[in-house]
Amino acid sequence: MHKKALALAAALTLAGGVAQAQQMVFTSWGGTTQDAQTEFWAAPYSEKTGTNVLQDGPTDYGKIKAMVEAKAVNWDVVDSEFDWALQAGKAGLLEPLDFNVIDKSKLDPRFVSDYAVGSFYYSFVIGFNPANFSGDQPKTMADLFDTAKFPGKRTFYKWSAPGVIEAALLADGVAADKLYPLDLDRAFKKLDTIKSDIIWWEGGAQSQQLLASGEAPIGFFWNGRLAALAADGMPVGISWENNITAADALVVPKGAPNKDAAMAFIAEATSAKAQADFAAKTGYAPINTGSPELMDAEVRKTLPDTQTGTQINADMAYWAEHRDEIGTRWYAWQAQ
Amino acid sequence: MLSFLSQGRRGSGWGMALPALLLLLAFFVIPVAGLLSRSVTEPQPGLQNYETLLGSFTYIRIFLNTFLVSGVVTLITALIAFPVAWALAIMSPRIASVLFAVILLSMWTNLLARTYAWMVLLQQTGLVNKLLMGLGLTSQPLQLTNNLIGVTIGMVYIMLPFMILPLYGVIRKIDPAILQAAALCGATKGQALRRVLLPLAAPGIASGALMVFVMSLGYFVTPSLLGGTSNMMVAELIVQQVQSLVNWGMGGAAAFILLVVTLALYALQLRLFDAEAR
Repeated sequence: MHKKALALAAALTLAGGVAQAQQMVFTSWGGTTQDAQTEFWAAPYSEKTGTNVLQDGPTDYGKIKAMVEAKAVNWDVVDSEFDWALQAGKAGLLEPLDFNVIDKSKLDPRFVSDYAVGSFYYSFVIGFNPANFSGDQPKTMADLFDTAKFPGKRTFYKWSAPGVIEAALLADGVAADKLYPLDLDRAFKKLDTIKSDIIWWEGGAQSQQLLASGEAPIGFFWNGRLAALAADGMPVGISWENNITAADALVVPKGAPNKDAAMAFIAEATSAKAQADFAAKTGYAPINTGSPELMDAEVRKTLPDTQTGTQINADMAYWAEHRDEIGTRWYAWQAQ
Repeated sequence: MLSFLSQGRRGSGWGMALPALLLLLAFFVIPVAGLLSRSVTEPQPGLQNYETLLGSFTYIRIFLNTFLVSGVVTLITALIAFPVAWALAIMSPRIASVLFAVILLSMWTNLLARTYAWMVLLQQTGLVNKLLMGLGLTSQPLQLTNNLIGVTIGMVYIMLPFMILPLYGVIRKIDPAILQAAALCGATKGQALRRVLLPLAAPGIASGALMVFVMSLGYFVTPSLLGGTSNMMVAELIVQQVQSLVNWGMGGAAAFILLVVTLALYALQLRLFDAEAR
């Protein structure tokens, strides 16, 4: 009897050990984005490796810092903003990525660093409700900031991140190649001119709601959200002029319990097929250079890779370095 | 003998509260102490986080705005809740229980869903504005979201049950004969309300008001979605500092100032109302 119990205990321990080795945690922002990440990255990865991927979220930088400092990390791979990833890598919050496992030769070099690879990238674009602008339609950043010519509320991304500051500077006449270092005084002065007409959006769903309802007939959006509205049959106007790219990153917090599984997961998530499937579903662009050829021609047209003419890449390194300074000013300005 | 008994009772009372106290110690006192220590050690030791918060007009405005919103919400909630609680107390128990179910049902619905619903109702192209314009009451849509109006409407709606329940508890215990006596002694309805009913209901109003006020101070979702950034509340500031800027020091300092003010208010209420009850 005693022996049996012992054997049972041993078996349970063993099973527990095995189960632990065969799972990892992926953390992202929730919503349709994480649904697509689960479907096109986690599911094929689990099928190939037998490792179960637990989904968690939303991504929370304060939490990552607290976990790393307490040496009690329970997230293995996290989807973060790219500029935060660069800053966090420098600050020692992340594991260096293993490029023996992750094939970086196929990844867009704009979105590869020692501690982070792109998760997907997107463009901030001008979106408008054509019903509100039957004559002249907004096209340039100057139009986006011109409330006399294009009256109505405008909606902008609420959080401090690459995009809106650049848009304000472009609208004020700064040349695209002279954006960095960012002239914050000038940007906030330009933003001041439309401050009372701004409605802030906090997440993609809210931005769609504001545009579709006409609450804010014009604004600055993630391209994927506009593509999704258009796919739902909403009349949506898009201007790609000076579209500003930014990216999300995949990172591994320092001390992640399943580091090997994490690297293998990132390798799968950034593979051509996984990136292509994810892009087709979400309207965000793939960061694997082999993905576009796997995609439907109609879908490719809606992606920022086809809009490189006047495209501007937000300077992630600059943002990583000045993130705190810009953020502090941004929120103080908003609250004024 | 009597004192022995009451002592025994007190002892067992502590025993019963022990699990709750341990829970509070582990999941409230210790984390708050940790947050406090971060607020004076990050990014470097010293009081600079408190200096920044209390020395800048922008941040002081956020605190003032938080108290303003919480105060207005508490006042409006009390004004709406009092007649409701009174009606519940005097109507037949069967109808009252149905009304209670309606009030509680709103509490069981997801907060985010309720706030989004208000967003859709109150926006310029929303139902409320369409109704007002359809009735000819306004010619232009009113700006009801992204400002204090939206925050106040959304929060009053969410806070109502927390005011109605304590008020109902107190009002139900008031003997209706007292009001009859007041009327017999020649009090008008207004006088009976001001000089009899309100003083008797005061402890209920006070505990409801404290609950609503304190909950409002730390509210995040509703102000964030229905308010604009120019009338931000402290909870939003804390979220920005911790989640977006990873500045635990500033977030902790803001949280600690809020906690101190809340405790001070609680102490004030205890002094004013418990002393009276004794």
